[in-house]
Amino acid sequence: MITALAAAILLQGQPAMDIEPQSTPRVVAALSQEVVEIRSDFAGAEIILFGAVTNMQAEDDLVIVVRGPEADLRVMRKERTFGIWINRAPVRFEDVPSYYSVASTRPLSDVGGFSALRREGIGLQHLRLSAPESERTEIRLGVEVTVSEIGEDIIEYRDAISRNRRRDALFAETTTGVQMLEGGLFRANVALPPATPVGDYEADVYLFRNGNAVAAGTVTLEVRKAGLERIIYNFAHTHGWLYGLVAVALALLFGWSAAAIFSRR
Amino acid sequence: MQIYLPIAEISVNIFLLLGLGLGIGFLSGMFGVGGGFLMTPLLMFIGIPPAVAVSTEANQIVASSSSGALAHWRRKTLDIKMGLLLLVGGASGSIFGVQLFAFLRSLGQIDLIISLCYVGFLGIIGGLMFIESVGAVLRRNRARHASQPVSKRRKRRLIDRLPFKTRFPASGLYLSVIPPIIIGFFVGTLAAIMGVGGGFIMVPAMIYILRMPTSVVVGTSLFQILFVTALTTFLQSAQNQTVDIVLALLLIVGGVVGAQFGARAGRHVKAEELRIALALMVLAVCTKLGWDLVATPADLFAILPLREGGH
Repeated sequence: MITALAAAILLQGQPAMDIEPQSTPRVVAALSQEVVEIRSDFAGAEIILFGAVTNMQAEDDLVIVVRGPEADLRVMRKERTFGIWINRAPVRFEDVPSYYSVASTRPLSDVGGFSALRREGIGLQHLRLSAPESERTEIRLGVEVTVSEIGEDIIEYRDAISRNRRRDALFAETTTGVQMLEGGLFRANVALPPATPVGDYEADVYLFRNGNAVAAGTVTLEVRKAGLERIIYNFAHTHGWLYGLVAVALALLFGWSAAAIFSRR
Repeated sequence: MQIYLPIAEISVNIFLLLGLGLGIGFLSGMFGVGGGFLMTPLLMFIGIPPAVAVSTEANQIVASSSSGALAHWRRKTLDIKMGLLLLVGGASGSIFGVQLFAFLRSLGQIDLIISLCYVGFLGIIGGLMFIESVGAVLRRNRARHASQPVSKRRKRRLIDRLPFKTRFPASGLYLSVIPPIIIGFFVGTLAAIMGVGGGFIMVPAMIYILRMPTSVVVGTSLFQILFVTALTTFLQSAQNQTVDIVLALLLIVGGVVGAQFGARAGRHVKAEELRIALALMVLAVCTKLGWDLVATPADLFAILPLREGGH
């Protein structure tokens, strides 16, 4: 939460530093849907992010990053022990976005410089995946750097998270996802797969000029359970014991009524 | 047609779930087994989180065992005293199993333990059942030529020397209360971890360890399974919120219908051949799970949520 807040402050502060007074670009964005409801027929959703850029120049690029609610994860590496694959060597990652998708007008490496992308956490390569328990900070050449205690292995762990999430389409990167229309208008599709977790999402639109983000706009999205799904979920989590009794009662009802129906025939 | 399961939090084809319920229900009706040992692994194969699969399957077994238990209750083909003792052990085993499940999940080893339990028990039970039923078929064929008298003499075993003996009139036994409680506890623990009723362990244990007459074995086993799975469902709901009522209802609807047809189909097949088929099926599931344990996985890393179901 604090990191998200800090990122938001950073974002708003960012363009102010690089502004050119004669053509200050501005980004305005909106979503076709600000709330996505998960009902019993939910099998993924596609929403449209659209907006406009003022004072856009021909060589400018747009990048859209959608981030889902953050959660802590444990990543374990399987190792063969007595012929059996067993989960070992856990590494705890904190505040990993449960959903992360990037869309841009051109490949990211052409859009922005390494440090600009890294600073904003744009792109699967630059997404910040921190494992604080396996890290320590050191001063090297007068600069504070983060060093992983498991060395190079941490890269494999990070790749594993990204690979795992891409498999469920929860992490995605498309280099042609943003469509530029006339007059600085743009649109992009945001695909939410069936496994989309509930929570608050944030979509950031970055305007890149000469390799740096010069303007940004943010819209928020909420994914929530609705209808019967919401009622059942809330019931299970607020009155667990009553839910259990109902579950048992329903099972008995079905079991006995089926026996009664079939024995009469 | 996809349906979003509110607790499992995934979208699954509704006909796949109904079909699974129907298919496993048919087999369980035909063979007279609960089917949990087939359903729980299958639910995990289609992507239901293990914790939800195990708890929800316990809920389904409540439905599938209830009609059978009621029928045996009416016919008085169950040993209530023995059933209650097994239940005392089973209830404590279930409570222990639910805690053990949560602990193993916190270690990130629950999938491994579930698989190992399945491979171990299915391998032993399937193997023994296969050998025994093949033997029975061979004996039957031989018996056509010469019938042999069956020895009814019983040896005095370790189990007969235990204290706290009591009479079980329905079973015609004079036995210590300790073995039923221990067996009940063991099966209750396994039921909570593996998402099974435990009939496939309970029935052999009653026949070979407790030496109960076969006429009351099935009824007593169903009686115990009904109460233990009901308790497991309740505990998992109250403590872990892992029972998916939508998933359970779909499996139950398919299951109760399938079981009725299966029971009818089973009457036309000879008992020994039926047991051989069941043994082969048990061994097939065991082999598949065992293979998954030793084969090099597609992804060498596992991503585990630190707290499941919490928001």
